[in-house]
Amino acid sequence: MSEFHLTEDQQDCLQELINIAMGQASDQLARYLDTFVYLKVPNIESVDAKELMHTLSQQKNTMAVVSQGFFGYEGIRGEALLVYQEEDSGRIADLLGYEPDELSQDEQLIDISSILTTTFLNVFARQIDNQMSYNAPKLLPSAKDNLSEHLQQMPFSWDLALKVNINYQVTDYSFNCNMILLIPETAITNIKDVLDRILAEF
Amino acid sequence: MSPSVLICDDSNMARKQVLRSLPEQWKSSVQTATNGAEALTILRDNSIEVLFLDLTMPGIDGIGVLQGIQKLNLNCSVFVISADVQPEMQSKVKALGAKEFLRKPVKPDDLINHLQQHGLL
Repeated sequence: MSEFHLTEDQQDCLQELINIAMGQASDQLARYLDTFVYLKVPNIESVDAKELMHTLSQQKNTMAVVSQGFFGYEGIRGEALLVYQEEDSGRIADLLGYEPDELSQDEQLIDISSILTTTFLNVFARQIDNQMSYNAPKLLPSAKDNLSEHLQQMPFSWDLALKVNINYQVTDYSFNCNMILLIPETAITNIKDVLDRILAEF
Repeated sequence: MSPSVLICDDSNMARKQVLRSLPEQWKSSVQTATNGAEALTILRDNSIEVLFLDLTMPGIDGIGVLQGIQKLNLNCSVFVISADVQPEMQSKVKALGAKEFLRKPVKPDDLINHLQQHGLL
């Protein structure tokens, strides 16, 4: 986590806050899909803006990206991207089930992404004494040019991306998705202060 | 009377959260483990009376520890403290012998209440 410059304690604290947020997001996903979700410890890493653009433009197999903006107090804001991989598209389709009269697969993908993002961020925010509101989630067209264009057109300047690698195993299926939080420097400073405040309590 | 206690969690902060929530007189007899394998070794070689157990851990997870406890036929009160709050997981750990399921982050009052309910305080 180079850009973040977290101490070992700060990193451990952040990881635990993320584990708790992830646990509740998975519970919501399990309820939506009416199944059990097997949880693994999520990997977190931070990447700077340039590096992220490069990584995402190198990824040829991105199936879909759902993007959703979030706002809290004290300069905490950002954009959450859920990135699904091409090789998982069949599994995700199986998982969602295609019911022609109900929601399309795109709509369902937007739904589960929004459930994951908002539950995750609500629980995370509560733990750092903040509260979030959200923009409507958007499914980006799959062409990679669209993704870099989208990233360049953010309404704020983001300095760091916090990448949470999530692996879901849902009964017979498993799929991977990356949750990428694009956050500006003020938010990073704020999060670090809060981590220190939490750590000072011990 | 303070029982021998083991706290098993891969997060240092989570271990400290549990430790901080324990009754004052218990705090002197606490051991810690950072993963399931470590916990099972300690459980085998020591008579641990109360175990506070996380579920989602690398390697042997909390479920593995509960199965190990059954296999070794250990008499130990297990309180699962986890972020994995799915109802199915809560019933699963109880079926495997856990006394209670507590949500993370653990609240001191909550923990004390549960210890009292199970006659440990």
